[in-house]
Amino acid sequence: MNKVESMLLELKDTSEFMVDLAYSSLLYNNVEIAEEVIFLEGKMDELSIQIQQYIENVGREHPEEIPKFTFVLRLQMAIEDIANAAASIADVVLRGLGEHPVIQMSIQESEATIEMATVSERSILVNKTLGELALGSHTGMYIIAIKRGAQYIYGPGKEVVIQAGDALIAKGPEESADFFMDIASGEETEL
Amino acid sequence: MSENSGEYLSLDSIDMTVQEILTEMKDKSEVIVDLAYASLMYNSRDMADKVSEIEDEMEDLKYAIRVKTLVAARSIEDAKQLSGILQIASAADRISQSAGEIVKLLDVPAEKRPFINNIIRESDEKFRAIRISDKSDMVGNTLGRLAVEALTGARVIAIKTRRGWIYDPDDDIKVHAGDDIIVRGFDDGFDRLTEYAQGKKPWEFPEIEEGDDE
Repeated sequence: MNKVESMLLELKDTSEFMVDLAYSSLLYNNVEIAEEVIFLEGKMDELSIQIQQYIENVGREHPEEIPKFTFVLRLQMAIEDIANAAASIADVVLRGLGEHPVIQMSIQESEATIEMATVSERSILVNKTLGELALGSHTGMYIIAIKRGAQYIYGPGKEVVIQAGDALIAKGPEESADFFMDIASGEETEL
Repeated sequence: MSENSGEYLSLDSIDMTVQEILTEMKDKSEVIVDLAYASLMYNSRDMADKVSEIEDEMEDLKYAIRVKTLVAARSIEDAKQLSGILQIASAADRISQSAGEIVKLLDVPAEKRPFINNIIRESDEKFRAIRISDKSDMVGNTLGRLAVEALTGARVIAIKTRRGWIYDPDDDIKVHAGDDIIVRGFDDGFDRLTEYAQGKKPWEFPEIEEGDDE
């Protein structure tokens, strides 16, 4: 994959993740998750600028590539607009307008919920790969991203090793959430 | 006035509650983006048409929810709370419009259309087609009863049946042996869903509440 491709891929993954997060911030009227969406919007802006600068540079040296970049830019704009919409959903929570019961109930009607859990040092997840843990089968919650410091790993592969301090973002049925949180905090010690 | 209200009353969504409309808009805004990328990946005009259809539906839903919330507002406090609902509805509609922009890229001739397949294939949330075996106890059940996403984290975006494709299938659609369900999700969930689909594992139906006949 070349540079534009990987930048565009990150843009796309980030935007989809933002939508997931934004809707789930509504479910519990969760300010922390809503703020995460806004943080990611900032990352999207940086990425977009990088893509545009890259295109400017390559376009100067290889004008024949420009038609392909038109496509990239159109896609980029659509993706950015999705991200902005996600931020606008999170903004509802940040403005304190997320309390209306209709909002929570309409999100609940949907099938899955999202949880964010920080892995404690005493959790049995520490130093294990996602492959050996098979969290989906054991807890019912699927890891859609891991936040490590300021970096996100989207859709982490089976080889990814969980570290203490990682924030796991997982999707699954509401009734599985508690067990998952307890496993991450170390309260529960058996999968 | 009469003409406009006539138009409004003809909307299907008029019989839905605000909550139902919002749920519908949220769900549609998620599946439409999946379908849009999938249409580019499979180069599918049919999927792109479905995206445009959902985009139109969203427009109607947004209109209906606007009118309904405006009617419900009786005070400044009401209006504040309801404005949050409208903000969400607008955002969901905006997402569907962006999906509409994405499928327009299908019109770009192939030689000017780089990258995209790689990007979707490499993307963390991949698509997969899973065949339903006659041994699977998913057979004969509706998507609503199965709640596939809750159990496996994988979202059903389309079904390929013997009669043809169903995009963004409704909850009352039944799964048949031999169908291919097209899902978007993660490896972990795909593995699990494949076991159910092949009949290697019994489906774990959610418990049904007493007196709930759905």
